[in-house]
Amino acid sequence: MTQAFLELRNIRKNFDSFTAIDGVSLQIPRGEFVTFLGPSGSGKSTTLYVVAGFIEPSAGEVLLNGRSLLGVPPNHRDIGMVFQRYTLFPHLTVAENIAFPLRVRRRPKAEIAAKVDEMLRLVHLSAMRDRKPAQLSGGQQQRVALARALAYDPQILLMDEPLSALDKKLREDLQSEIKRIHAETGVTVIYVTHDQEEALRLSDRIVLFNHGGIEQIGTGEDLYQRPASAFAAGFIGNSNFIDIEVLENRNNIGDVRCPDGSTLSGVPLMGRTQTGKAQIMLRPEHIRLTAEAEGIGGHVTDAAFLGDVMAHTVLTGWGQEIMVRTPRQMFMGPPAGVGDAVRLGFAPADAFLFVPH
Amino acid sequence: MLMDFARLGWMRWLLCATAGACTLFLLAPLVLLIALSFDSSPWLQFPPPGWTLQWYAQVFHDPDWLASFITSLEVGSCVTVLSVLLGLLCGFAITRGQFRGREILRGFFLTPMILPSIVLGIALYSAFLWLHIAGSFAGFVIAHLVLALPFSVVAITGALEQTDKSLEDAAMLCGAGLWEARVRVILPAIRHGLFGAALFSFLTSWDEVVVAIFMASPTLQTLPVRMLGELRQDLSPDIAVVSSLLVLATALLMGLAALFQKESAR
Ligand SMILES: Nc1ncnc2c1ncn2[C@@H]1O[C@H](COP(=O)(O)OP(=O)(O)O)[C@@H](O)[C@H]1O
Ligand SMILES: [Mg+2]
Repeated sequence: MTQAFLELRNIRKNFDSFTAIDGVSLQIPRGEFVTFLGPSGSGKSTTLYVVAGFIEPSAGEVLLNGRSLLGVPPNHRDIGMVFQRYTLFPHLTVAENIAFPLRVRRRPKAEIAAKVDEMLRLVHLSAMRDRKPAQLSGGQQQRVALARALAYDPQILLMDEPLSALDKKLREDLQSEIKRIHAETGVTVIYVTHDQEEALRLSDRIVLFNHGGIEQIGTGEDLYQRPASAFAAGFIGNSNFIDIEVLENRNNIGDVRCPDGSTLSGVPLMGRTQTGKAQIMLRPEHIRLTAEAEGIGGHVTDAAFLGDVMAHTVLTGWGQEIMVRTPRQMFMGPPAGVGDAVRLGFAPADAFLFVPH
Repeated sequence: MLMDFARLGWMRWLLCATAGACTLFLLAPLVLLIALSFDSSPWLQFPPPGWTLQWYAQVFHDPDWLASFITSLEVGSCVTVLSVLLGLLCGFAITRGQFRGREILRGFFLTPMILPSIVLGIALYSAFLWLHIAGSFAGFVIAHLVLALPFSVVAITGALEQTDKSLEDAAMLCGAGLWEARVRVILPAIRHGLFGAALFSFLTSWDEVVVAIFMASPTLQTLPVRMLGELRQDLSPDIAVVSSLLVLATALLMGLAALFQKESAR
């Protein structure tokens, strides 16, 4: 196998007796945009800070081009970083902030001036060059921080939830900007977020964190279409989990019984169970509201028209709320309204089976 | 708002009157003192029979007053510099360090603030006798440093706590070493804290008299010590002049502080 550009090997970090991350292993090729996605407290930032050099792992290795980074202090790692909080130096102007890493490196004046201009153009802030950070909006501050982090052409750019303090519209603008800058510079990016939509929009690959470990690594499509665990299925996209019992197992295809006693056949078991209690996960868009006699029965408790889709909430006979999304072109006749009795239809092959531990 | 000034009606006048009375009460002694310094009577007669600048001329030409003024300045300046430097190191230790007993250490740094200064004076004096630095300039500076350091630690620790550690991290990833990051990024960011620390340290030493009495020798007297000595002999117009000058100096320092605050608020 070819050597990875950046590799984490079995990283563990204990804070006193608490294990923040355990067994994190990951290979990142040069130029990739990788996102660490996961709930708050799952160890994303800790892993990022290990790469940056601010946290020394309790065990494991960080390798850049096959050489260990662990003995190298943060200021010699050649890494750029944009933080969650605003970290522009308050006493320096925008241009001086961007020039700071080059000044520290004692680059020639002319080179610094040219690079600052280039960076200001990259983040579209040339007009703000003489402002102080306090005179900028949050979004502008993060753009300057990005310019400062890229000014010395680092090998790796780390970003720890850089947009989490911004409102939705601005966040989306900056996401496209970050994407463009990644394409223009080709820098290798590790981006941390707890927002799945942001991860899906930005990343080449997503590393899904949970409880200090990696749950799944893959493209957004991998994680959505082939979730490796109930956690992954629940975290990416919307999902309905139904407790079932596997009655029959024929070559890894099962007959299952739903809580209301109705049975389904043809559910792929994915080698996860023989028979017994399990869960199936259904995406809201894989469920149809039908008038047929088959399927799980219930009645509509909420119906919302969302433009291109119709969103229904259906209360099943056993008292669970199931989300259903129907694309506009699939509407057949007038959509069901609140209170209507309906049945939930789906292709058994669309169900994902998980066995809770 | 419940306490909106404009809606208080007649109560407004009551409030203004009270505030005025308090101000008068606080300022009256100072005004009296300053008036006496221009009093033509050598016996501090009030109201003054006439006005004169002769006491000022006398003080400015008195080598003893000048010497103690210089001593006060020297002690105060040394204390200020040392107090800010040590306060900065303590501040970094308390806010950025990761060791047991940080909170205890922090409380410990405040003890000179709450100990009666007479006790501190006696303790320091006996210690300095033993160390053979009683009555020396170094002893004086160390003693005042003990009193000034708590103010410095409080001001600088507070400022450091308000400065995000990620600022330091960001500077380090930009290529700066730890102390380079602190000097180039953190010091400018906490400059109000540093200025406050310097101001309070200087003022602590400048108007301190209790501990100073223990530290002074006939040849090494700060202004307040000399004033006290002078007062024991008689109440001369010189005292009124020196006191007025002290008030003026303090007012100037406060004005400077206000200017600085305004600058940094921008
Ligand atoms: N310096 C620290 N001391 C003790 N616990 C910490 C420290 N830093 C992080 N943790 C803990 O480690 C876990 C992972 O934290 P973090 O990596 O910041 O999570 P995330 O970035 O995914 O929200 C959390 O439970 C957090 O409380
Ligand atoms: Mg985090």
